[in-house]
Amino acid sequence: MPRIAVLPPAVADQIAAGEVVERPASVVKELVENALDAGATAVEVTVEEGGRALVRVSDDGSGMGREDAVLALSRHATSKIRHAEELVGVASFGFRGEALPAICSVSHLELETSPEDGAGTRVRASGGALQGVEDAARRRGTTVSVARLFHNTPARQKFLRSARSEWRAISDVLVVMALTRRDVRLSATHDGKSSLALPAAPSLRARLGAIHGARYADGLLDVEDVAGAVHVTGLVERPGDVGTAARRVFLAVNGRAVRDTGLVRAAEAAYRSTIPAGLRPSLFLEVVLPAGELDVNVHPAKAEVRFGDRWAVERAVERAVRRALGTLDSAADVGGRGWFAGGLLNGARPEPAVNPWAEAGRDVGALHLEAGPTVGLFADPDAPAPHDPRAFDGAPHGAPALPWEVAAPAAAPAPPDEEEIAVPPLVQLRRTYMMFERDEGVVLIDQHSAHERVLYERFLGAMARGESPSQRLLFPLTLHLGPAQADAFEANRDALTRLGYEVEPFGGGSLLVHAVPTPHPRFDAERCLRDTLDALTGDRHAAAHARHERLAATVACKAAVKAGDALSPDEMRALFVALARTTLPAHDVHGRATIVHLGWDELERRFGRA
Amino acid sequence: MRFTISREKLQEGLSAVAASIPAKTTLPVLANILLETTERGIRLSGTDLDIAVSTEVAADVETPGAITIPAKKLQEIARELPPSPVKIAAAGEQRVTLECGRSRFKLLGLPKDEFPAFPAVKFEESWRIKSGDLQKLIQHTSFAVSTEESRPILNGVLWELRAERMRMVATNGHRLARMELPISSSGAPAGDLIVPPKALDQIRRLFPAEEELEIARGDNHLGFRSPFTAVYTRLIEGPYPNYEQVIPKDNDKYAIADKGSLTSALKRMSVIASDQTHRIRLSFNAGMLKFSVQTPDLGEAADELPIRYDGDPLDIGFNASYLLEILRYMPTEEVRLTFKAPERAATVEPEGWSDPAKYLALVMPLRLMD
Repeated sequence: MPRIAVLPPAVADQIAAGEVVERPASVVKELVENALDAGATAVEVTVEEGGRALVRVSDDGSGMGREDAVLALSRHATSKIRHAEELVGVASFGFRGEALPAICSVSHLELETSPEDGAGTRVRASGGALQGVEDAARRRGTTVSVARLFHNTPARQKFLRSARSEWRAISDVLVVMALTRRDVRLSATHDGKSSLALPAAPSLRARLGAIHGARYADGLLDVEDVAGAVHVTGLVERPGDVGTAARRVFLAVNGRAVRDTGLVRAAEAAYRSTIPAGLRPSLFLEVVLPAGELDVNVHPAKAEVRFGDRWAVERAVERAVRRALGTLDSAADVGGRGWFAGGLLNGARPEPAVNPWAEAGRDVGALHLEAGPTVGLFADPDAPAPHDPRAFDGAPHGAPALPWEVAAPAAAPAPPDEEEIAVPPLVQLRRTYMMFERDEGVVLIDQHSAHERVLYERFLGAMARGESPSQRLLFPLTLHLGPAQADAFEANRDALTRLGYEVEPFGGGSLLVHAVPTPHPRFDAERCLRDTLDALTGDRHAAAHARHERLAATVACKAAVKAGDALSPDEMRALFVALARTTLPAHDVHGRATIVHLGWDELERRFGRA
Repeated sequence: MRFTISREKLQEGLSAVAASIPAKTTLPVLANILLETTERGIRLSGTDLDIAVSTEVAADVETPGAITIPAKKLQEIARELPPSPVKIAAAGEQRVTLECGRSRFKLLGLPKDEFPAFPAVKFEESWRIKSGDLQKLIQHTSFAVSTEESRPILNGVLWELRAERMRMVATNGHRLARMELPISSSGAPAGDLIVPPKALDQIRRLFPAEEELEIARGDNHLGFRSPFTAVYTRLIEGPYPNYEQVIPKDNDKYAIADKGSLTSALKRMSVIASDQTHRIRLSFNAGMLKFSVQTPDLGEAADELPIRYDGDPLDIGFNASYLLEILRYMPTEEVRLTFKAPERAATVEPEGWSDPAKYLALVMPLRLMD
């Protein structure tokens, strides 16, 4: 007797079901996806006992004829693709033809469908075996009822959790579906109670508002950016709000909800230096890229995708989020939202490209209005600081070396945006804040935080370029360090040199400082170096990258003007302009707010004028 | 106390003293001016505790006495008075009346004993110096003092007195100015004094150039006196850095340039130089000085200036504002620059200056980006 035999189809289906149908939530996911693929505009989900007793999904989609309905229950039967080539760039949710037979193999399944109102078909099956086909009167669409899930796979049944937690998993799935397809009306009832009723929504913000409350949705920042072929849109949490509510992450690629730690990490990286370490922001992001750049046939549940050029996509996501955070709109806010429409620069912003993923009825215009200045003033954060060795490099002594004679053939770096920044009249309050008035209210800027942000970005740029201006000293400074500070110095020696500190160890924990950076006229180089080394004492940041950022942040903090420093009007103006030119003006390097806005509505409310 | 003074004399006295009255103070009497009668008229005095100025102007004194009056108000009143004699009288300790023509003022003063005593300097051990010489030294050096509070020593001007010469030196650690004048024996004790520039400003302002000043020191103060006016100042304590050691002796490259053209070229380059560092590059080649500046996010500029230079080619970076400032004080049409290497101090001196004084400025380079 041969020891190897082909499994009967029912067993094979049960095994496949193990991959596709893990728990009731996966049944809901598969069925709702089928409904959406059938072009439904309204989907109703009914669940009982967390899906153990019943999962029923009804739609108003295209429905099926009798033959199709029967065939749909057999494995690898699908209407969605015909040829292997169609796998590239597949746009429907499903395409493997696995879901229905797999579900059918572990439940009692009843399929009621009709391609047009009236004459429909009812197909009943159990444990993968067809039990009957009969006529049924039904409106156009399909209803799939899955009862007694896993009744024939006790092992799987044993691992089901409580009805409550299975329902939670189902509603997570439904929320993701609702965010992905905002044009579809979605309702759900659990044990007879209506738990979700979402009308078709014009925008992601509206949909989120319907799910989590308008207040939550209104607090989010718009993301909208195009980098090459990659289009990133969505909503992200304001840095100031991160950590105040449960973290929610939604990521869709070409309209398909996916889990992708790489993209999430990229989005989180954009928050660097705006939120305290350890906090993770809520993200709702949609990425659109050419279908050919993407492989969705990686995971049975299609929760993962593969990118042709992952790095480019991650970079696009980080850049898009960073730009969103760079708007003043992301500043901490006293009172209502929505005060900032035109940006500091009053609308000096090129129109963003039209959203290729824009669905009918989606309020693209409103998005644009709120998006804030994404270009121009808040220049591209990823554009490498112009490292310009051309002019002076390779000009041997004595050779005629006018910088641009050497440089001329090379393309000059794109001229940075030299748009005039209109500086409003600024008032200094308590030698700590700068205040100015806008149409929507008054804005307060923390001078230390603002200067810190300015210097931080300047220092990072200087470190990236390798050298920063360094003033030689007539009288070298002598610093006496403790062992811990000496360690901190050794660990950061290279980066300090790049910042402009020319330091020579003198033995016995003493340092001779021969040259210092001169970031601003009030800079106290000696104190800054000493404080920085103190602050970095015991720092064990392994990665050089993180250490550079930390050093830049520390030096910026120590070098910035302090609260209590009186600023002249010119200094305030210069600081305002410099801040406006940074990539993240609204946040200092510790994740605190730099800018606080007090709206007239808030003021009027407090004065009882409302 | 009662006296009559012309409006002009009152204004003259007030404006001499006004600069020493602090704008803000926690000690109310410092906002007041001290009026005292003397044999020749009245003496007005003001102080902010760092420096003190007092000056005597002619007046007809009827009854001797002394009182302090809010300086700012008195100055404003004096400015608005009609051109008539001003009668000032103190009734009791605090009430002051001022009459001029038909105008009447009553002011609340503070008693004289609340006013701080002037520093005790020993004018009996004084020495004499021509005010013009002192002013020349001050003018050419005090611009270079540091305004940073981290090294208080550098906030002052070093005044070196020696038997045959005197010298002033000021630096902020990035650039330095030094001037030296020969002096005929003045009886000045050899020594080093570190003087706040604010006091030196007053000396430049208050004393006519030809006047002989009587100078004396106390424990921690210095006094300057002419027949009518006196300036006292606190001295900054501590050893001044050894500046002699950092003035290069072995700079082997030198250039001679026209001051005006050099200044113009530097000003042009400054337009493009960074606001923070003002960094520009100078490239010295035989007979030609090339300027260039490159500021990320802004742009580039270049210029050329024929000069006298025959050393090895040299590229060196500077803070243009330091150079411009130094050039502003150079007394000659041409200046002489000396160098050793791109990371070593450069000096600027007047070229062809027929003056007994010796003048030198020094500036430390900025690191270049290459």
